[in-house]
Amino acid sequence: MFQIAWRNIWRNKSRSLVVISSIVIGVWAGIFILSFSWGLYQNNINETIFKQLSHIQIHNPKFNVENDSKYTLSPTDTIMTQLQADDRIASVSNRIISNGMISSPTTASGVKIYGIDPLAEVKQIGLDNNVKKGAYLSAGKENAILIGEKLAKKLKIKPKSKVVLTFTNVKSEIVSGAFRVAGVYRSKNISLDEVNVYVLKTQLRKLLELKPTESNEIAILLKDESQLDAVKKYSADLVPDGKVEDWKELSPELGMIIESFNLYTYILTGIILLALTFGIINTMLMSVLERIRELGMLMAIGLNKRKIFIMIMLETFYLTLVGSPLGLLLGWVTVSVFGNIGIDISMFSEGLSSYGFSSMIYPALDNQNYFIIAFMCLITSLLSAIYPALKALRLNPSEAIRKI
Amino acid sequence: MAKTIIDAHNLSKTYNADTVPVKAVQDVHIHIEEGEFVALVGPSGSGKSTLLNMIGGLDEPTSGSVVLDQVEITKLPENKLIDFRLHNIGFVFQSYNLIPVLTAKENVGFVLQLQKIPKEEREKRVLNLLHQVGLEDKLNSRPGELSGGQQQRVAVARALASKPKIVLADEPTANLDSKSTANLLDIMAKLNKEEKTTFLFSTHDIRVIQKARRVITLVDGKVESDVQQTPK
Ligand SMILES: Nc1ncnc2c1ncn2[C@@H]1O[C@H](COP(=O)(O)OP(=O)(O)OP(=O)(O)O)[C@@H](O)[C@H]1O
Ligand SMILES: [Mg+2]
Repeated sequence: MFQIAWRNIWRNKSRSLVVISSIVIGVWAGIFILSFSWGLYQNNINETIFKQLSHIQIHNPKFNVENDSKYTLSPTDTIMTQLQADDRIASVSNRIISNGMISSPTTASGVKIYGIDPLAEVKQIGLDNNVKKGAYLSAGKENAILIGEKLAKKLKIKPKSKVVLTFTNVKSEIVSGAFRVAGVYRSKNISLDEVNVYVLKTQLRKLLELKPTESNEIAILLKDESQLDAVKKYSADLVPDGKVEDWKELSPELGMIIESFNLYTYILTGIILLALTFGIINTMLMSVLERIRELGMLMAIGLNKRKIFIMIMLETFYLTLVGSPLGLLLGWVTVSVFGNIGIDISMFSEGLSSYGFSSMIYPALDNQNYFIIAFMCLITSLLSAIYPALKALRLNPSEAIRKI
Repeated sequence: MAKTIIDAHNLSKTYNADTVPVKAVQDVHIHIEEGEFVALVGPSGSGKSTLLNMIGGLDEPTSGSVVLDQVEITKLPENKLIDFRLHNIGFVFQSYNLIPVLTAKENVGFVLQLQKIPKEEREKRVLNLLHQVGLEDKLNSRPGELSGGQQQRVAVARALASKPKIVLADEPTANLDSKSTANLLDIMAKLNKEEKTTFLFSTHDIRVIQKARRVITLVDGKVESDVQQTPK
């Protein structure tokens, strides 16, 4: 019977090829979609960690709630030295943060003002790489400010334009300072570009009237993500009155984005499997109907229904057995190739980059997932063969033989 | 006295009972003993195929019973019936007898394989049978590579492979020329003598009728005559 089933699938070569190729395409597309979304996911995480949040951030717990610059961490220098001395940590930086208004001659907008050490942020978030026009901040140019491209457009300003920042200092007095735009940056996260502006830490500290030992945020970049929990604990011991959070806690929306992408992935995979189902039901049904007389004869000479059923299932199984490895191979090649050269999604990236996605995606997939996909296609094709096989069972041998 | 092998009682079959009833077979009694060589004749539409199908358990009668070798097959559940057919009845149909993807040898061996007969014995019996039907040189040909007559000979060999007590054949020679017909009939008659297998076959062909030792004539689903004769 195994032999009959095997030979049966080669009887109508073109039809078998249709089934095989739909399985190949199903497996391939499944692999591609999963690896693509995995690449997207990784890309998104890396983008968020290395360009925005870092692995760990420490704040004054009240700062998190009230967002007021007067809730600080101190003594910053001591903490920094101790963190920098730890060899699990790649880099550390501290910032002063204030919420305020930026006004150009034409209009004004709410902003989050970061007082930074320009050199530290080169290592920490690669901020200098994002500068598109003008120059990055440098020590000495006291009134320089770095603003996002989107904000620049909104305020209708260019490098060298003058802007005024207005905010409240730690004594709750309203203060303002005149700045000159040094550069315009564009990050991968457009929505943040409209809000975040960078000035020198020394300058902002002076305006806020903070002490030199105070800061609002300490960001830590690790050498190896597996050290996350250990370093978190170490930092918590080091800054007992600070609140230590990792990137997952800092960006709950990241989880939501990933989840909604997972949903799309499931839907797409479902559509592929559905198409596969219809393809197989259709072709196997045709192959059963074409062989009504032969199947009737098989029943007449003593092949019982269970065996007929098994035979049809086996035929489908063999087709899948031929198709899946081909699909796996094709999928693996595709993932390897694009995993190296990357896929440019800048066509769609205007929308995506506002969520913090970069425009190059490097698909990747675990070995385990390859087999899950192949297995799912196998299950799907066997499930879809059930209906045609049942149809074959309902044949009545005498009627089947009578039919021409 | 010889043993009764086929016993049909009050056998009737009505198609489309609820719309336009067709009484294909009405109240047929047939009694056939072991080793008989019987032709079932009658005009087209007289119910020959219907009767053969009911005797072979391929079709359920509307009423009446069929007893084959003391087993009332009309009362067997489906899977038991299929099993009974496998072990006790050989079928030869007008066409589509063989599995197209298997060679002559494999086709004949197929029912033996279903019966789980060990490979060596299977091989021996298959070669022997194909030799008896004169196809020892076509062992590895597929049905598509055989002539109609050769295909029917393979079908007869297949029908006999499981050493059934009964061979039922529905117009086995309908698609054959006269030479192949005579040849097939001779083979059937020979196997009937040598193996004591009971043959019941339907036919239109007068030359085939002449070879039978008993002729049952069916008209409008009823037995019109049932005569013994000396085959020519
Ligand atoms: N499945 C069916 N549904 C309805 N009527 C049927 C069916 N099968 C056969 N019949 C009718 O039953 C009658 C007997 O048919 P059957 O095939 O047994 O005749 P037959 O003697 O074998 O004819 P032939 O010599 O042409 O093969 C015919 O009138 C036929 O139309
Ligand atoms: Mg007929």
